[in-house]
Amino acid sequence: MRADKKTKLLAKQLFKLSFVDGRISADHVAGVLGYVEKNAPRRALALLKLYLRAVQTEVAKSQALVEHAGPVSDATLKLIEAAMAKKYQRPVTASARANPRLLAGLRVRVGSDVYESTVAGQLAALSSAV
Amino acid sequence: MLSTLLAVTETAHESGIVQQFGLEPKFVIMQVVSFLILFGVLYQFGIKPTISTMEARNQKIADGLRHAEETQVRLAAAQQESAQLIKAAQHEAQKVVDEARKIAKEFGDKQQTEATARAADTLAKAQQAIELEHRKMLDQARGEIARLVVKTTEQVLAKKLSEADRAAYNTAATQELTAI
Repeated sequence: MRADKKTKLLAKQLFKLSFVDGRISADHVAGVLGYVEKNAPRRALALLKLYLRAVQTEVAKSQALVEHAGPVSDATLKLIEAAMAKKYQRPVTASARANPRLLAGLRVRVGSDVYESTVAGQLAALSSAV
Repeated sequence: MLSTLLAVTETAHESGIVQQFGLEPKFVIMQVVSFLILFGVLYQFGIKPTISTMEARNQKIADGLRHAEETQVRLAAAQQESAQLIKAAQHEAQKVVDEARKIAKEFGDKQQTEATARAADTLAKAQQAIELEHRKMLDQARGEIARLVVKTTEQVLAKKLSEADRAAYNTAATQELTAI
């Protein structure tokens, strides 16, 4: 089911209502979901999909996924959180995920932005440069 | 003339010649008159027309000769003119032939130049294609070699890198990423 223009506009308005002090609020999200459940607007499924995608994108902007090969300390994660929070001007939570294919180093993903300093990345860059 | 005749007759009469030859003056005079009349008639109707005819014929002959001379002169002039015309025509024909040869030579040279240019262009294109193919092959070989080197390096590093090495690299990576 494709969303029409009115559904997109409603999803955008509901998404704006989910913010408190510039951050997604769990209470407001619950309120929005309750409103949708209670009123059952047209194309509710498409509306919820759009809303979910917007919330996921926004939440991803506040989360830093740190892929690593080798040990990563909590202090390192804190440093990355602080650097990303400073860069994006918002609180950022870092979560670690081991990825041995990186060989060594870190790859940080915030939303759609990727920051990488890995041996695998440098080898790939070397390969494409040759 | 008559006086001369009378004088001659008188002289002959006086000397006795007339009596000796039996001449009568009146007959002599009649003979003379008859002769003169005959001569006048002959002159008027015979000699004069003959002379006139001869003069006309001579005039015709002279005219014919003059005409022949003029014709001769005109013929010579015509021959000279025709010779000049033939010479001019030969000259013109020679010019036309030379021009045709020149044009033919230029056309041949142009054709040869164009053929040479086409051949050079084809050769250049072929060389470019070969060069491109060679470069493409080298690029493919280089990419394949790089891929193999990188894969081998990855495998070697995956086995040889220790946890301490990775930790040190991660520390450096953290410093790099936090400095963005």
